Amino acid sequence: MLTVLIRRELLDNLMTFRFAVAVLIMLLLVVANTVVVLKDYEQRLMLYNDAVKMHQQQLQEKKTYSAGITYAGELRINRPPNPLSIFNTGFDKRIGNKVTVSHTYVPSLWDSGWHGSNPFMDMFVSMDIVFIFEVILSLLALVFAYDTLAGEYERGTLRLVLTHPVSRGHILLAKYVSAMLCLLVPLLISLLFTVILLTTTPSISLNTDDFLRIGGIIFASVAYLSVFYLMGLLISAATRRTGTALMLAMFVWGFLVLVYPNVILAVIPRPEAPQARAASAFSQIEQMWEGEFGREWRHFLETDALPGIDWNLGLKGSGSEPYAYMWRDPRTLQYSFEVILAFEGFDDKEEHKIPHAQNHFRFLGQLVTRTADQTWIIRKPALEDIFIHPANVKRIWLKLSPVGLYDAATQAWTGTDLHGVRDFFDAARRYRQEVINALYDKEAFGSRQWFSSDKGAADWNILPQFSFQRVDVNTNAKRALLDVGILLMMNVVIFILIFLIFVKSEV
Amino acid sequence: MWHIAKRELYDNLNSLRFALATFLLLGLMLTNAVVHLREHPERVQMYSEKVAAHQNRLKSHANASFYELAQKGPGTLHKKPSALHFCTGRGAAFLSVHVSSIQSWSWDERGLEGLWSLWYPSATPNRNNVDPDVTKVDWGFIIGYVLSLLALLFTFDSISSEREHGTLRLMLANAIPRHTVLIGKFLGALISISIPFTLAVLVNLLVIATSSDVYLGADAWGRLGIIYFIALLYTCLFLALGLLVSARVQRSAVSLVILLLVWVTLVVFMPGTLASIAGRSLPLKWERGSQRFFERRAEFDARWHEAHGDRRKQLQLSGEYVTKDAEQREHAHEAHLKRRISQVKRARAITRFSPVTIMEHLLESFAGTGFERHLQFLENVQSYARQFREFIVDTDSADPESLHIFGIREGVSQKSVNPEAVPRFEDTLNFRRDFNAAAVDLLLLTLFFVGFFSGAYLAFVRVEI
Repeated sequence: MLTVLIRRELLDNLMTFRFAVAVLIMLLLVVANTVVVLKDYEQRLMLYNDAVKMHQQQLQEKKTYSAGITYAGELRINRPPNPLSIFNTGFDKRIGNKVTVSHTYVPSLWDSGWHGSNPFMDMFVSMDIVFIFEVILSLLALVFAYDTLAGEYERGTLRLVLTHPVSRGHILLAKYVSAMLCLLVPLLISLLFTVILLTTTPSISLNTDDFLRIGGIIFASVAYLSVFYLMGLLISAATRRTGTALMLAMFVWGFLVLVYPNVILAVIPRPEAPQARAASAFSQIEQMWEGEFGREWRHFLETDALPGIDWNLGLKGSGSEPYAYMWRDPRTLQYSFEVILAFEGFDDKEEHKIPHAQNHFRFLGQLVTRTADQTWIIRKPALEDIFIHPANVKRIWLKLSPVGLYDAATQAWTGTDLHGVRDFFDAARRYRQEVINALYDKEAFGSRQWFSSDKGAADWNILPQFSFQRVDVNTNAKRALLDVGILLMMNVVIFILIFLIFVKSEV
Repeated sequence: MWHIAKRELYDNLNSLRFALATFLLLGLMLTNAVVHLREHPERVQMYSEKVAAHQNRLKSHANASFYELAQKGPGTLHKKPSALHFCTGRGAAFLSVHVSSIQSWSWDERGLEGLWSLWYPSATPNRNNVDPDVTKVDWGFIIGYVLSLLALLFTFDSISSEREHGTLRLMLANAIPRHTVLIGKFLGALISISIPFTLAVLVNLLVIATSSDVYLGADAWGRLGIIYFIALLYTCLFLALGLLVSARVQRSAVSLVILLLVWVTLVVFMPGTLASIAGRSLPLKWERGSQRFFERRAEFDARWHEAHGDRRKQLQLSGEYVTKDAEQREHAHEAHLKRRISQVKRARAITRFSPVTIMEHLLESFAGTGFERHLQFLENVQSYARQFREFIVDTDSADPESLHIFGIREGVSQKSVNPEAVPRFEDTLNFRRDFNAAAVDLLLLTLFFVGFFSGAYLAFVRVEI
């Protein structure tokens, strides 16, 4: 019996005008946008490749270690654009995509910079495929749903069907299954086209994990679609009039898709300004550099064999002037200290100072590295409290609408969410550790090349290569699990509600 | 005609959609006002603090010496925040709020100091912003998205449902010409949607105007009037579209489905897709020009050595070098800025195919927050820079003891400058210019409306009842 019902509903739906329009519009929008977004991705990839090349070249031009490995220096690593960002751009085009690696500080998201083209162009917000689905799928689902029950009430056909020995649950299930099957057609066809376009693009190579991620996106899309279809069904069952149902459905759609995601953040009370937290953390960091670090360094300079506490030991030679610089930014809790020396030659009478200088810079390098590590211990939780925590509160508010849940879930799958972007900075921190280990191994801190290139330039090939791999699909799944779970729960709850209303209603 | 309009109006006033529309618009406009009152005082305060700091800096330079003032330049010039930021503020985040004068270098081995030149920083608001990305609820959003959707919801059934009920045949039997019916229906829908919208706008302005933190001048009210008119014109466009589809289609449900899909394409996707196409610009190469700067430096060094012994000649050479260097740096920055701007202009021209974007551009022009406003600010800055340079030359030529060699300490007047005499930067908005910039958009929007409305007329005249 159920199959008969489903077949009837399916035929009813497939033959309609709205179905044809739905398929057409979806295809048109998704294919057109995929082409545009793919072009955009290719351009970003090109910029990334250029930037990587340029940074490597600039590093090779530095003749001493201390001139290359600094806060403002040339050992820069770049975040490659995420190929799945065409599904959901998320943070991929927003958060800084290059960061400098140095022993003098621990890199984080707040120290990142940007390589890219005309910054004015940020004005033009581009679209991704999930956004299209967000708007269109929800609209289509409601358009398909508003008259399913109300229409039958009005026409009186429901009474006819119920004269047969069919349970009301079966009728409901048949309507749900058939409409979902219909709605899946435009979704799957358009996604198929997207995947075809993706795989035929030479600059993108998708692996098994990527296909699993796309599968995750499809699953989340289906759950999202189903939530809106059930909402339409609920309205249809509750109002029993097609005209009212349609009007109400449109307003619900407008509210959930257009109004709520944009208004809610303006309405909720703004989280307390974490300025006190920032100030206390920064004063702690400042104390560490100006207190302990300064003391130890002065102690070394006072007790070494050379008189005076001059930080460059009074070294004189040709080449660019040595300089020491303090980087500080109370807003992002940045504090670091660097000494840059790039001598090209010395007088003979300076030669006796060289072993002392080597000793001194070995000591200083280690001291700066240690202090930078300790700074990070304070800085990390503080940044978490100041920036990440308030943003997460906002994110939770957004998730009260299925649109927010869907967006978050797909971002988690594509890896363009905050976690995904922060993975890059985790990798940057690991890379910094590798660089420091390599510097220790090769005795770079205590070498003559640290401050002078007169006896051979710094050898940058001792440093390891940086490479960034996106997390595996299991991690993506874990990050998406909660949001997809809530979406599924919504489905179940609304279905039960409809069932209750429908079973109790008079025909 | 008025009869039909009145009947339409009464029909609408009692409907569910009228209540929902009023509720929605009021809620959105109130949110907008509250957010504006929360954010705007901060913006204004920040601006006045920065302007005060800038004035102090100028004064201290003027007091120190003429050379200090001439060499360091006017400092950072700030863009005045618009009082109508609540109308549309989306694009403003991506436009920098200041232009700085920077010295190309601070000190070299001959004791020469770099001369100031203008430098245009870019705004990158999102580089370390981890907050979720949302659209601002400004008038641009409320009018562009919500009001247009409401306009369609008010008109989708105005003809098709009458046909369904058979009342249309009845009405036309009374020897009323068809265009009268159409115009009557159009006016009725327009009035019934203007009521909640006007109400919401008034509440919004009431909240903003009664607050002591925000001051709206006569100019601002005039601009608001124009913005209100633009909003109505934009609504008319969608009403005409609704009538067009409603006249062509037999059933109201089908009419709504078509309208919704058209709306989604026109309002949600077209701006985005066009922007994606337009925003995908080729990267501009920033010519560092360091090679040229080095060459110039080498040439200067050579000539300086040639002039060995002739102090006066050396001074002249140094002054020339410093001035020339700053000039060329400024040219490089300006050329780069121009390339960027022309790229944006091209992109904006592409996005004009969508009525929402046109409306947003119009709002930006009149609210003084968008790209056109930024261009005006840049122009103001450049004309101020010229004024400042003229002031420097005039002050120097007024001093008979000066050697009139700019760019070096010994070459210019040794007196200090009266701080009051230094020209002040004023960031003004020119209404006429705004109007000129907006004229094309205004015409385009009217054209869209005329097109849709005549389409509706043709459709209604030819249709069978």
